[in-house]
Amino acid sequence: MREYLLRRLSLLTFMLFALSIFTFSLSYLFPGELLTNLSGLTNSNYTSTQLLEAKYKLNESLLQQYIAFLGRITHGDWGISLSSGENVFEHIRILFPATIELCVYALITSVVIGIPCGIISAVYHRRWPDNLISSVTMLGFSIPIFWLALLLIMTFCLTLGWFPMSGRIGLLFEIDAVTNFMLLDILLADFPYHGLAFQDALHHLALPTIVLAMYPTTVLIRFTRDSMLHVLEQNFIKTARAKGLSQAQLIIHHALRNALLPVIKQIGLQFSTLITLAMITEVIFSWPGVGRWLIDSIYQRDYPAIQGGLLAVSMFVILANMTAELSHSLLDPISRNKAHGKI
Amino acid sequence: MQLLDIRNLTIELKTADSVIRAVDRINLSLKEGEVHALVGESGSGKSLIAKAIVGALNNRWTVTADRMHWQGVDLMRLSPEKRRKIVSKDIAMIYQEPSLCLDPTANIEDQIAESIPDEFLKDVSIFSRRSARKHRVIALLHKVGIRDHEKVMSSYPHELSEGICQKVMIAMAIARNPKLLIADEPTTALETTTRAQVFRLLKSLNQLKNMSVLMISHELEEIADWSHTMHVLYCGQMVEAGPTASLFNLPLHPYTQALVKSMPDFEQGITHKEALYALKGTIPPLAHLPIGCRLGPRCPQAQKACVVTPIVERSHGHAYACHFPLIKGK
Repeated sequence: MREYLLRRLSLLTFMLFALSIFTFSLSYLFPGELLTNLSGLTNSNYTSTQLLEAKYKLNESLLQQYIAFLGRITHGDWGISLSSGENVFEHIRILFPATIELCVYALITSVVIGIPCGIISAVYHRRWPDNLISSVTMLGFSIPIFWLALLLIMTFCLTLGWFPMSGRIGLLFEIDAVTNFMLLDILLADFPYHGLAFQDALHHLALPTIVLAMYPTTVLIRFTRDSMLHVLEQNFIKTARAKGLSQAQLIIHHALRNALLPVIKQIGLQFSTLITLAMITEVIFSWPGVGRWLIDSIYQRDYPAIQGGLLAVSMFVILANMTAELSHSLLDPISRNKAHGKI
Repeated sequence: MQLLDIRNLTIELKTADSVIRAVDRINLSLKEGEVHALVGESGSGKSLIAKAIVGALNNRWTVTADRMHWQGVDLMRLSPEKRRKIVSKDIAMIYQEPSLCLDPTANIEDQIAESIPDEFLKDVSIFSRRSARKHRVIALLHKVGIRDHEKVMSSYPHELSEGICQKVMIAMAIARNPKLLIADEPTTALETTTRAQVFRLLKSLNQLKNMSVLMISHELEEIADWSHTMHVLYCGQMVEAGPTASLFNLPLHPYTQALVKSMPDFEQGITHKEALYALKGTIPPLAHLPIGCRLGPRCPQAQKACVVTPIVERSHGHAYACHFPLIKGK
């Protein structure tokens, strides 16, 4: 097991290394002045240019520059945003939790809804629950999420007025940012309208979460259903049935564990799609997350911000994938002993 | 006492344009403590019969029978839930690919422990039930000839050899003290030495515990010397049934005769590179079954009358379905 973890970690280091090289090369590949791309400072005078050149080691070899880059990344100096003039890392630190919050809630929703639905659909294969779930899934799978978001806004915000249209929390409440996770911050904050603020935050979360959860939910339903159907056809299920286990025991003890193993892997793979979808959702619901910020930065040709945002998002996706992979191997006795790490 | 009594068991598969009768009106009866062999080429419907008895066939197949009595209770008339209870209490089955029949994500201890019914631990207090169950698992493993129980119990199926997996399957099967053990080609995936061990194990279970065994095999020589009665199947039709000894010594059906002849007898002295006897042709696929006696096209004795399905005839505890049986003087 320890050897396996070591292999995994070495693979992770390697992937992060490749990622850092890519990010490093971005500032050379982006159009515009190299020094501006690196520092985010425009119109600098001669002395400051000299200072910056010394800082970024522009007169030395590429290797030296890369090492300097790594040093800066680890110290939290990710350059200065061209549009806001503030530290990129500071931006990410404030904005990323909002995105993670949204993604995690969406993922929890999709797991909570998707896996039971998939199981029901497999157990009642080709009967009405399966038909119902499968057709609704097909519908949800094929609906573009920006359209779904607009439809939901139209019905629930504009017509019915049940949910707010944008933002993370109403303007009435002022929450001190401690962790930058809204719900956590509300719980940590010490002020009289605790419950109301929490409720308000949940109200704000509802629509973006539904929109974002739609795609992963449908994928999980389909995947769980197929995996479950496959497992139920296996010989060991027949044997277990012959052992005298009831249908419920059979599904809980044998079918579920085997069917969910590939699903765990799938959840990890969904993370990259989820982040992409989160960007769209954030733009539509004016959610102050890293996705919306990244898209704005792209519009504004804010190269240091794009570089930093990409690095942060890709790092997050890699780590999420790794976590899913690790938990899969912890639960699956067959892959636990696999000698080599895999991406 | 009659344990199992089946009349006219028919198993059909509905396809888009026709109904294929994979098993055609089989009669089977089994006494307590008897070893009954079901013999036939692959594709003759042996496994289907076994699965139909335990109710493990999937919905694609339709099973009909005039009666399928288990100790006087007609299984066909019970609800699936009741039937499952009766069958799992008294009948156990082992399969030909043991490693595929074990849950890959559970260790062996859990899987065997699960097959020990709660009733067996009734007189143990709730607190010591766990350890009692474990002791029973160890005892079962010893019984099937696994000495290194610690290691096997903590292993997962993919870490064990096929032979050990099959022994584990047998341990699981005998955990409930079943009255009947159905062994569906249990030794196909095994090596010769393990094969002998498994047979010896089954034989001793039969002799010591008076457990009936329904042995399904396509290898005649291996079960010939320890089965009491035998059923020969061809293409889902019963060919001949009766006590093993008389079936071997005096086969009445041309197919049985061909089977017996096809066993190479090395004591007789076979010359170098001599062709072994085999019936010409191959078993037809399910989609193209001949009418009448299904052996017809391959049968050395076939005549015009064979296009009509022969009626089962009985003489001296020996049943055969042939228009032209190999009886001297007839």
